[in-house]
Amino acid sequence: MGAKPVILAVDDTPENLDVVKGLLVPDYQVRVAPNGQIGLKIAQAQHPDLILLDVMMPGIDGYEVCRQLKANPETATIPVIFLTAKTEVADEAAGFQLGASDYIAKPINPVLLKARVETHLKLKQNMDSLEQLSAQLAAAKEKMEDELSVGQKIQLSMLPAVAPQHDNFRVAATMRAARQVGGDLYDYFFINPRHFCICVADISDKGVPASLFMAVTKTLLRANTLDDSSTASIVTRINDQLARDNEASMFATIFIAIVDLETGVTRYTNGGHNRPFIRRASGEVESIPDLHGPVAGAMDGIAYGESELCLSTGDTVLLYTDGVSEAMTARDELFGEAAIGEFLERSGGIQPSALVTGLIEAVDKFADGFEQSDDITLLAFTFDRAPEQVVRELQLSLTNNLTEIDRLNDSFNELAESADIPIDIQMKVNLVFDELINNVISYGLSKDTEQSIQVGIALYGNRLVIEIEDGGIPFNPFMRADPNTEASLDEREIGGLGIHLVKELMDEVSYKRAHDKNRVTLVKQLYQA
Amino acid sequence: MNIEVNDIDGTQVVSIDGKIDSNSAPLLDAQLNELLSQSQANILTDFELTTFISSAGLRVLLSAAKKAKSQGGELTVCSMNPTVSEIFAISGFATILRVFSNREEALAG
Repeated sequence: MGAKPVILAVDDTPENLDVVKGLLVPDYQVRVAPNGQIGLKIAQAQHPDLILLDVMMPGIDGYEVCRQLKANPETATIPVIFLTAKTEVADEAAGFQLGASDYIAKPINPVLLKARVETHLKLKQNMDSLEQLSAQLAAAKEKMEDELSVGQKIQLSMLPAVAPQHDNFRVAATMRAARQVGGDLYDYFFINPRHFCICVADISDKGVPASLFMAVTKTLLRANTLDDSSTASIVTRINDQLARDNEASMFATIFIAIVDLETGVTRYTNGGHNRPFIRRASGEVESIPDLHGPVAGAMDGIAYGESELCLSTGDTVLLYTDGVSEAMTARDELFGEAAIGEFLERSGGIQPSALVTGLIEAVDKFADGFEQSDDITLLAFTFDRAPEQVVRELQLSLTNNLTEIDRLNDSFNELAESADIPIDIQMKVNLVFDELINNVISYGLSKDTEQSIQVGIALYGNRLVIEIEDGGIPFNPFMRADPNTEASLDEREIGGLGIHLVKELMDEVSYKRAHDKNRVTLVKQLYQA
Repeated sequence: MNIEVNDIDGTQVVSIDGKIDSNSAPLLDAQLNELLSQSQANILTDFELTTFISSAGLRVLLSAAKKAKSQGGELTVCSMNPTVSEIFAISGFATILRVFSNREEALAG
């Protein structure tokens, strides 16, 4: 308020008006009115900052003036202070009910008058500032919502639109943003005709800055994969580039895998991201366990590692962000990572697109209407190699005699040498045969009669698949609990070691009971990290 | 599988040539038990010529190691090839038995 505040005094006694003028001038500008009518007119015309109002006046009294002032939006917010000789509580109450701000008794105490005028003027000032700020806030919010939609557009434009068609794989992905623009990213693309890259990332922030960071990350991803098929090296470079010039200290969890479409060998690097799942063609579901470094963009100079796994026909890899595992119900229950794995198990060999759609439906059903708080991203990749050629094959029928194990191993070793299978893998298979055939003969088959054990060995381009079948009593050798390999010498127990070794030395082990036969299937990958 | 036993400065060095599987493990078991019954509780199993060891073999070693310890001695291991080393690592045996790279180190340690 640059100019002095304007006070309007309304009183039918001229002497009172003089007193008020005398007290308030020169700190304030004072206008006077001898009755209610004129007072109202001046109020409407001048919009004073405060009104001192006598109650007892001829014509319309102070209460009526107040009523009319408050009824008119133009004058309703002007503070009104009643001046009156009437000091009964009932009268004061009536005045406050009408909207008056205060009451001053006559004869007027000068100190009191000045103090009250000052207080109420200040109060009014504060109210006015508050309203102004409120209006500014509303305008800013509207502007922000416009920006959010821009951010969403940026985010969506970063995602690949159409899934490539290829003989060797099928891929599907989706990103459903939360109400606020988040920072999830997925990408898939060919590095060269033989190598396909899949990637999922989750930016630490939300809003427009996150979507810009995401755009940068995606650009870096594409740029760094031009001439590099080592995911460790790619993520190391992306991390360095993101960490520089990163004043907002944003970062991204990231998972990248590069699949060799001919062999199924897949290199991957996990930088602080949720462990993806892999569903093998056999139906088994497991986590892809390795972590290779922290989130990307936080600190430069970090050397990321990588691991390798091998995909076979029908294997599906599922990448996701924590919007899925941390999807919540109204009762704070989380969907959870285990639930994702279970969904994968139940889903059979369905197409990646159906898998992705189905899982989102499951999450929505779980959340049951509770608002999505984080971006939900899913990427499913199924390796689909053309029917594989068997390189070598061997079928043997053994009798339930322990000496048959040597015969099996000799036949296998012959096959292995002719196919150049590394000697250490040969020995591991020998050991596994020793353990498992022993088990079958000792526990599964009756010792009195002669029974046969069928062993099938198939060598494919990148792995060995072994099946051992017997007609003995239902017996699953993998049911036993693993031994405690960390126990001390005194505590170690004798049992369970053989099967533990088999599980660790082979890449996949499974048991099935069908047609009155026990069947154990083992897979050993020939290419290892 | 062939077993050779040499007494070197009070330690019984048991060299195993070939593979220790369910067929041959009993032979090793018999040999180790013979030494232990003669109160020869300081035993070094030398795996330089051993191609692999199955769980049957591991059980034999564990049993002998416990007995040796209870007799105030020790069963140690040396010269494992990569496959045998891996089996020891997987089974946790590398932490319960003392393992050396070669015979000289084992006898000195």
